Amino acid sequence: MRIQEARIEPFFAEIQASLGSEGINRDPETLRRYGENTMPGGDRSPVGVVYPASTQDAQTIVRAANRHGVPLYPVSTGNNIGLGSRSAVHPGQVIVDLGYRMNRILEVDERLAFAVVEPGVSYQAMYDELVRRGNKLMLDVTSGPPQGGMIGNALDKGAGYTPYFDHFGFACGMEVVLGNGEVLRTGDGALDAGNLINWHTSKYSFGPILDGLFTQSNYGIVTRMGIWLLPRPPAIRSFHFAFPDDDDLEQIIELCRPLKLSNFVPTLFRVCNDLYLCGSEGENPEYRASGGKRSISDEGRRALRESHGVGAWTVSGAFYGPSAEALEPQIKRVRDLFCQSGKARYIAHEEAEGIGPLQVAINTFSGIPSVGELGLLKWRPGGGNTWFLPGTPMDGKIANEFQRVCRKVYEDHGLDYTVMNVCGPRFARGLHVITFNREDEDERRRADDCYRRMSEEVARLGVFVGRAPLDYHEFHMGQAMASFREACSGIKQALDPNGVIAPGRYGIG
Amino acid sequence: MRTNFSEAQLADPEIAEANQILETCVHYGFCTNTCPTYVLTRDENDSPRGRIDLIRRMLEKGGPPDPKTVHHLDRCLSCLSCMTTCAVKVDYVHLIDRARVHIEHHHRRPWPERFLRGLLANVLPYPRRFQWALRGARAAKVLPSMVPSALRASLAMVPEPKRLDTDILAPGVYPAEGQRRKRVAVLAGCAQQVLNGNINRAAIRLLRRHGCDVIVSAGVGCCGSLTLHMGRESDARVSARAAIAAWTREIEAEGLDAIVVNASGCGTTVKDYGHLFARDPGMAEPARCVAALARDVSEILVDLGLAPPAEPKAYRVAYHDPCSMQHGQRVTRHPRELLRAAGFQVMDIPEKHFCCGSAGTYNLLQPDMAERLGQRKADHVASTDPDIVATGNIGCMMQIGQYLGRPVLHTVELLDWATGGPCPPALAGVPLREPAEPNQEPAPDIPVVNDGGGAANDVGVW
Repeated sequence: MRIQEARIEPFFAEIQASLGSEGINRDPETLRRYGENTMPGGDRSPVGVVYPASTQDAQTIVRAANRHGVPLYPVSTGNNIGLGSRSAVHPGQVIVDLGYRMNRILEVDERLAFAVVEPGVSYQAMYDELVRRGNKLMLDVTSGPPQGGMIGNALDKGAGYTPYFDHFGFACGMEVVLGNGEVLRTGDGALDAGNLINWHTSKYSFGPILDGLFTQSNYGIVTRMGIWLLPRPPAIRSFHFAFPDDDDLEQIIELCRPLKLSNFVPTLFRVCNDLYLCGSEGENPEYRASGGKRSISDEGRRALRESHGVGAWTVSGAFYGPSAEALEPQIKRVRDLFCQSGKARYIAHEEAEGIGPLQVAINTFSGIPSVGELGLLKWRPGGGNTWFLPGTPMDGKIANEFQRVCRKVYEDHGLDYTVMNVCGPRFARGLHVITFNREDEDERRRADDCYRRMSEEVARLGVFVGRAPLDYHEFHMGQAMASFREACSGIKQALDPNGVIAPGRYGIG
Repeated sequence: MRTNFSEAQLADPEIAEANQILETCVHYGFCTNTCPTYVLTRDENDSPRGRIDLIRRMLEKGGPPDPKTVHHLDRCLSCLSCMTTCAVKVDYVHLIDRARVHIEHHHRRPWPERFLRGLLANVLPYPRRFQWALRGARAAKVLPSMVPSALRASLAMVPEPKRLDTDILAPGVYPAEGQRRKRVAVLAGCAQQVLNGNINRAAIRLLRRHGCDVIVSAGVGCCGSLTLHMGRESDARVSARAAIAAWTREIEAEGLDAIVVNASGCGTTVKDYGHLFARDPGMAEPARCVAALARDVSEILVDLGLAPPAEPKAYRVAYHDPCSMQHGQRVTRHPRELLRAAGFQVMDIPEKHFCCGSAGTYNLLQPDMAERLGQRKADHVASTDPDIVATGNIGCMMQIGQYLGRPVLHTVELLDWATGGPCPPALAGVPLREPAEPNQEPAPDIPVVNDGGGAANDVGVW
């Protein structure tokens, strides 16, 4: 939907009347910043930003958008750097910034271990609140920005590393302003009553589970969500193994799978390649010499590995228990298993605490937000950054084939293969970082082409992406079967008939 | 970020440095979410990213800045929260300092602002003048309508006499108790001595008790921090030059193991003397030497190892990280370790990365924003239900104390008390709950974030 100039002013007049001047920002400098992102496709300036302070405000905004035919683009904290930041799908949309005034922690139930939050609540804010309450509960955090929003991440199918890693899976009960302006409560919250004591504890209430409709979609604005929390364990001990060769990935995946299928290891495994770890510690030392035209050399990678004490692949995981001593036998069993082939070098918890990139892993296993991994974004100058997030089955041969294919695509484009496989029992998500100089037109084009080529290659191997940068939503939806696309459009038509919520996001509407 | 300076502009080393810093910013925007002013106003020009752009334009254009630019740069707290968050490590502190100097040289402020800034720059760094000014201010408080409006907000900040404990230290040597382990100089400071003399007394007692000869060097006054962050770089250099000269004499005479600073705002500046004099051939080396010796008092005490407390007082202590300490010096672990070693229960304060609004002279120059931040911080502090609030910078102590309505103590006052010193005067007459039994549990295994974790969390399921 293209915005019509004539519709905009009456829309903002209506919002101004309802939300007051604090609820709107149309300052050109602010709009320019909201349009910025880090992806290859360029910036997209909105026509305004509105700041709801409540679900009722969000409803007012959506209803006004319907009346005036104005497209909205909701963001929570806007920290989805590399996937879109606060930038809308198309220029001319109105940003609904939920992070400014809807950032309340509505409830923490310490007995049933859940919290209820608004979209602006960040990992850091939730963590601070839990610490304030005595640090008895732990939330699962990402290794991304501490100011990232919990709801936004869960709805984009984001994940962490502890047993509660699946942020959507461990969310329970939503309040949503639908595209048609109605407010919907999901799960047990659907009960037409006032004392909803089971809203954020039960996922299996009467009727279809609608919650999933609001992940990676544009059918409504989620204004409240329940998040489950884990009792903080008395002791957390991490373990790490460095492997010397790129093709060791096959062996690593085979080692990790049974440990996760059995849940012997409670955390996910972070299986990071050398650049994923070393990249957060400084700029590519060969970038300036090659003008960014070549991938870093094998010698350069080896030197970085030696300098930072990591491997071509480094595996990290952790155990939880009553004390460090009680966890030693479990760590020994894992150590024996990983060291059987003679290739792995064991890195103990204490040693890892002195290695910056591994401290990031310890923080994530401990539910502590940290900024350490953000350093990856300065691997190349110029501020370009986008993420490619497919996954592989937990099969060593397949995962290794993916590694070879994707590494080659990076190298064909003169970029640096930077990846972390986050391994569960059956599936590993591959967080591929494409860092590029956005101010260099040739490099920007190469990054764009690299992303598209990898998407096509993994699709050829039978795998779809998980999360995706905003620039590629339409492209990925085009990779889906026709009936899936039609079903998504049909739901959009039912819940947001005028198409006011983020038209084009996730390739819908 | 692309910049557009001329060759002639870049020949100026100060502009060349600013250019280098500007080029590192790539507008990721992580800084916006941790910038106190942006969080309050949601105005891009009140964010580090927006300010960097304003600075770029101001320096590229040269000459007088536009009033809007001055407004938004003045509103920056220099809390440096953005530097902790920035993914590409933009050296914001040196950029904003350069911008403040440019404004000072090229912008004529309205007279009330000029008067207030001149007053602060010429009074606060001089303890005797500050002492007299406070007396005058208290008299003026009786008839506030007679006070120029520009000064009224500052007047409201003037503490009641009972909250003052002025003790201006004379230069001298305070010998170690027992065997000498280190010989250290203490920065006695300027405004701090007038507002709370017990900080220096407690620090000196503590250091002596832990085997230090403590030197208060003649010739050291203000470190230059206050004027530096007002854009008065020349004044700051005069103060810093005197301090460096005095400490260099000590180093050359009998040597110094450390220069101990107990106001973290000052510590951040002293540790950065190398940069302040980088382009001064005669001063660069001594400035670097002094900066290399500078330690926050908590750092030196961790090095020395805190003596076991005579009688642990397990009060709940909410610890506030001063911005200059957490973002400027990255010293966050030491004070917590020491307070725990002294037997206190240490609690983190939510949103601890946020400034309390003190920020040197900020609460005097930007009272409205400072009030919002001060109240926000006080609310977070109160939410932890503490018995005592502690921090490591006099500015934060005064600011938080004002909005909290109860005294805030310096970390060294508590450490001194726990290891045999007197009860801090600020606690006199303050009712405290009976402290819990000293914690006998082993240290938590996870990175220490608060009491909790460790065995206390073992509810039988692990």
